[in-house]
Amino acid sequence: MSIATENAQQLAVQAIKPKHEKTNTIVNGSEAVILSLIEEGVDTIFGYPGGAIMPIYDALFHYRHALNHILVRHEQGATHAAEGYAQMAGKPGVCFATSGPGATNLITGIADAMLDSVPIVCITGQVAEKFLGTDAFQETDVMSLAMPITKWCYQVADPDEIPLIIAKAFYIARSGRPGPVLVDITKDAQFADMRKPFKYEKRRQIKGYKPACKPRDKDITKAAELLNQAKRPFLFVGHGVLLSKAEKELLEFVEKTDIPVASTLLGLSAFPTDHPNYVGMLGMHGNYGPNKLTNKADVIIAVGMRFDDRVTGNLDTYAKQAKIIHIDIDHAEMGKNVTPTVAMIADAKEALQDLIPVVNENKHESWHLEFKKLYDEEYSKVIEKDFIANDEHIKMGEVIRRLSEKTNGEAVIVADVGQHQMSAARYSKFRKTDSWLTSGGLGTMGYALPASFGAKMGAPDREVVAVIGDGCFQMTIQELGTIAQSGLPVKIIILNNNYLGMVRQWQQLFFDTRYSFVELSNPDFIMIAKGFGINGHKCMHADDLDSSLDTLINSKEAYLLEIVVEKEGNVFPMMPSGMGVDDIRLE
Amino acid sequence: MKRRYTIIVFTENNFGLLNRITIIFSRRRINIESLTVSETERKGISRFTIVIDYDESKIRKLIQQIRKIIGVLVVFENEDDQVFFGQIAYFKVITSSFEQREKVMEIAHRHQAKIAFSSEDYIVIEKSGKEEDISTTLHLLEPHGVVEYCKSGRIAIVKDQHRFSKYAKNMDPEGWYSDEEFHELPLNGKHLL
Ligand SMILES: Cc1ncc(C[n+]2csc(CCOP(=O)(O)OP(=O)(O)O)c2C)c(N)n1
Repeated sequence: MSIATENAQQLAVQAIKPKHEKTNTIVNGSEAVILSLIEEGVDTIFGYPGGAIMPIYDALFHYRHALNHILVRHEQGATHAAEGYAQMAGKPGVCFATSGPGATNLITGIADAMLDSVPIVCITGQVAEKFLGTDAFQETDVMSLAMPITKWCYQVADPDEIPLIIAKAFYIARSGRPGPVLVDITKDAQFADMRKPFKYEKRRQIKGYKPACKPRDKDITKAAELLNQAKRPFLFVGHGVLLSKAEKELLEFVEKTDIPVASTLLGLSAFPTDHPNYVGMLGMHGNYGPNKLTNKADVIIAVGMRFDDRVTGNLDTYAKQAKIIHIDIDHAEMGKNVTPTVAMIADAKEALQDLIPVVNENKHESWHLEFKKLYDEEYSKVIEKDFIANDEHIKMGEVIRRLSEKTNGEAVIVADVGQHQMSAARYSKFRKTDSWLTSGGLGTMGYALPASFGAKMGAPDREVVAVIGDGCFQMTIQELGTIAQSGLPVKIIILNNNYLGMVRQWQQLFFDTRYSFVELSNPDFIMIAKGFGINGHKCMHADDLDSSLDTLINSKEAYLLEIVVEKEGNVFPMMPSGMGVDDIRLE
Repeated sequence: MKRRYTIIVFTENNFGLLNRITIIFSRRRINIESLTVSETERKGISRFTIVIDYDESKIRKLIQQIRKIIGVLVVFENEDDQVFFGQIAYFKVITSSFEQREKVMEIAHRHQAKIAFSSEDYIVIEKSGKEEDISTTLHLLEPHGVVEYCKSGRIAIVKDQHRFSKYAKNMDPEGWYSDEEFHELPLNGKHLL
């Protein structure tokens, strides 16, 4: 998040007077937790109670009108919902869980948020201090579990520390490169009264932690020089653009320089897909042109992305000919995977603001033509076939194309992990920013259903459509209960191929079609949804697709649409793992 | 190519930080040769001295990741010629006869080791210095019956006065690097590119 946005947000929060008058009175640790959250402007919590966090839930009961709590069905759901919420609301998502199994159930979602730089604040109950380390009932060393997968974590055993630690937690989660934090609070600290009256101060700095710095003049000059001389410049958009809210600057920069733009998986929707400069997605199942031409560009400017191995493929053959300008807020990303010519440690928005005045207006027609040629090739060999159903089977690509058309590219698409994710990434048209949520770094099956209702809570005015595989759906299927209970009008599409499709594809291509434990015998999803009180429909034929999608979109309530798709469809293009961007295959 | 590095990390004195720092090494399967932690002359600030053998090409990335840990204030990565360093060792040697005792004390004397403790039937010899000196002393004493031997991790002090004082700024209560200094941090004063 850019400093500017953060300031704006803080001002907005200050404008809302805290809904409590407990400042300067003695409260217990639990109430201090709740008051601190209110002071941070939290309005929504995703959680699940249990023994070690009961005092906090009890305090929450008294503030249930100020803080909306969503009871999930599994703590993993709480983390993903908080992720979805955070990304749409532009502020940290909050989770509660109890000690032991509650805390361990959070772990997958925390790891997910870490790899995708999503700000979430997890608060876990812990056994009383005297039981720590004794294998007491429901004790796990959640600190040791969380350390490698959080931006920061802290165990509180003294109620007086609570306001300070929560303020620190929120500041760390949202500033710089955002990420998950965890605060573990012993049960006795929740019960005990604070010694000092409750007082809350938001954090603006922490010793030894510098979340962002301004771009240096010499880097700006050098970058502009490289870009101005480049014959075949290429711009990569990453998640950092969305996090720093730099979409407007990005557009202005691109329109001035006429550089072709490609997006990473998590950068999708930062740049309009129908813009003439947009050439597609990078990476393993990205578009043909952007991958192939990575090794033809003379200057690459990478904004808020980290050259993940799913993007680069084999690093030994990756973009060796190019000078690379790398803009990222995280200094540890500089030179981690590729060696930049200009390493600009900065917020994407500020860097682009500084670059716009010093880059030349330009035209790169012949360079664009090369992308066009490769797109045409991809179109005839892949896209056309993905779009148009043959007689028997609905294709995933076709579903996504129609969904995009029907929602005018304005819906928030929340994709799970697998072939359906790649189809959704490849064929969704994005006209609005912040319209794409998925688990990129960790590739967590089960992400989409909880993330979608989190997203809906973070942006109630937007249409949220979850696109989920039949395998993924069953990882967090119980969250249908949360959706139903909360009355959230989330739209769910299951693309059912009765396979763990992505794994089956790999087995077909790289393991001589030995389909080892990838076939699913699925339940009646519609009946299950109905059991939860959610309406649905199973679409089996192409001629039913259109009206099925209409019903889904027109529904005022949550709705489940199961679409039976081609059983053994494959996602292409594909860069086989271990190979380079040049080796990307169209079939 | 692998080299020996002495990594000096200054941190806040919070619990859990030792764990967080060592995770950085263990997840990359780096074996820590030695690790020494103690509080510094500044209250609330700890100093870690970590010795590893590691790839020259990857050391900077490692340092950048350590620096990212919240609670870590400054990190220096040093090759042996950039620091003064040493270790301390104790040897417990059984001395059953007078001649043996004489011999052991003479070895200690010749090798600038101290007699830290002496009783009727054993002597504890204290030797500080470089690893090689310590192992030479060990070899000489071994035939005389070393029954217990222990050695500390390396401690080290950075030679370059300028480099150290510049970054020590961050250890002041409100001190923090300027943006310019921040850019230069991971690389001990040399810029990345
Ligand atoms: C928790 C978890 N387990 C296993 C995997 C490995 N995996 C990646 S994609 C995939 C198949 C997903 O199947 P499905 O949800 O049916 O989607 P499809 O690929 O068929 O569209 C699997 C098993 C994973 N990413 N996450």
